[in-house]
Amino acid sequence: MKKSRLTFAGLVGAVALAIPFAQATAGDEITRGQLMADTCVNCHSAASAEAGGAPDLSNYPSSLIVSQMKAFRDGERPGTVMDRHATGYTDEEIEALAAYVGQ
Amino acid sequence: MQEFSRRNFIKVVGAGSAVALTGIGCAPHKTRGADKAHVVVVGGGSGGATAAKYLKKYSPELNVTLVEPNARYYTCYGSNWVLGGIVDMDFIEQTYGALESRHGVKVVQDRVTAVDADGRNVRLASGETLQYDKLVMSPGIDFRYDRTEGISEADAERIPHAWKAGDQTRILRQQLEDMPNGGTFVMVAPPNPFRCPPGPYERVSLIANYFKQEKPRSKIIILDQKDGFSKQGLFEEGWAQEYGDMIEWRPASDGGLVEEVDVRNMTAVTEAGFERVEADVMNFIPAQRANQIVHDAGLTNAEGWCPVRQDTFRSERDDNIYVLGDASVAGAMPKSGHSANTQGKMVAASISHELAGRDPVTPTAVNTCYSLVTPDYGISVAAVYQFEDGQMAGVEGAGGVSPTGASSRFREQEAQYTRGWYAGITADIWG
Repeated sequence: MKKSRLTFAGLVGAVALAIPFAQATAGDEITRGQLMADTCVNCHSAASAEAGGAPDLSNYPSSLIVSQMKAFRDGERPGTVMDRHATGYTDEEIEALAAYVGQ
Repeated sequence: MQEFSRRNFIKVVGAGSAVALTGIGCAPHKTRGADKAHVVVVGGGSGGATAAKYLKKYSPELNVTLVEPNARYYTCYGSNWVLGGIVDMDFIEQTYGALESRHGVKVVQDRVTAVDADGRNVRLASGETLQYDKLVMSPGIDFRYDRTEGISEADAERIPHAWKAGDQTRILRQQLEDMPNGGTFVMVAPPNPFRCPPGPYERVSLIANYFKQEKPRSKIIILDQKDGFSKQGLFEEGWAQEYGDMIEWRPASDGGLVEEVDVRNMTAVTEAGFERVEADVMNFIPAQRANQIVHDAGLTNAEGWCPVRQDTFRSERDDNIYVLGDASVAGAMPKSGHSANTQGKMVAASISHELAGRDPVTPTAVNTCYSLVTPDYGISVAAVYQFEDGQMAGVEGAGGVSPTGASSRFREQEAQYTRGWYAGITADIWG
């Protein structure tokens, strides 16, 4: 099923502005990629990693996040819960969110 | 955090909104200073605190005021770990200092007594009135004691609900500590819909874990007001493996339905009055509805919850009011802390874009609910949501629960991720 309604402009924006969102300019447009990425930090942050939970992804290369999300989704990498999350996203969505989560 | 600057403001309106600049159309009226719209957020739990923080992150130029009656907030998630003796109350305590000092949210410790939607203001118990451009309500739940004979909120010290964490959690923990070995703990589990669907069953699990270690001859009976529950297969698998026959679950249709509670004798009356279940400690979790404040504000439906347009969580009753978290009707999303958190971000993005005159952001949301069967045995349910046919719906093929029959290593990993989840989500909300 085709889910992404990401516009071409939004996708370009997400990739071009691949900076941590705390540094974003005041009141910048919030892309779908950013909003999706902001749901990742519940489990993936410095705080979660420090507690022995899921890794902090903010220093991961975006390309690695893309490849691992696709691997979880496509059953090539086993997971406890990430396989269940990754199946919720299209290629485009994974690329858009990875641009914000990683660097 | 980044300071608001005139240059940034011009950049924002230049990029997106001639409307806001010229003050025509639906531009917000300004209540504080020439350029700043004011958003009032009611309730400092997972939904409200997230919305307040992310409003300032997405739109640093906004004035954001969070109204919350308590200086300390105890998360409901994690409160079962307190009841099981795994962590202390301090562990689940959250405060509002970082929202103010790091994120620029104005936190007002007060209670909202009335909402004037036409006048766009809220009145506080202190007598102060706050004008708003947008109002975000994340007030949580209230209890419906009227569904069961014999028990009322006044009995909550003797028979705690412990479904709003804090003193109630302390009371129930103390009762469990005082209970003799060989005693019976009875939980009356609520009918749908209610806050934290797996919560009653994690609670029973961790109380069983405590009994197994300290009071192994004790017994647990769940009198359920429904015939099934979240992660049921996983819980039942874990209970059989870890606790033998200590836990007995009675569904509503087979002895679980409680007609009356005899508070003085700590007894639940079931089977149309023919069966009396005596307890040494009883946990009565009542039926639920949205908090009274949203009823008074006219934001609820006949079932007692708040209907919203689920792509933005804007109230169906008022264009300038948003309702999120447990109080809202949110399609497939459960009433969970994680749902409220992800909805808080959706609301913040929606308001941010609307006030800047931009098109709405396409909604996206997730939920992950971890539960502990023992401190080293975690299970989860997860989902990814999209907006479809007017509702937040689970993405087909995604989500679901942990596998049954998994290895102990898998359960240990999920228990570890449970702790990581708690640290991560609380840092995201209050950090």
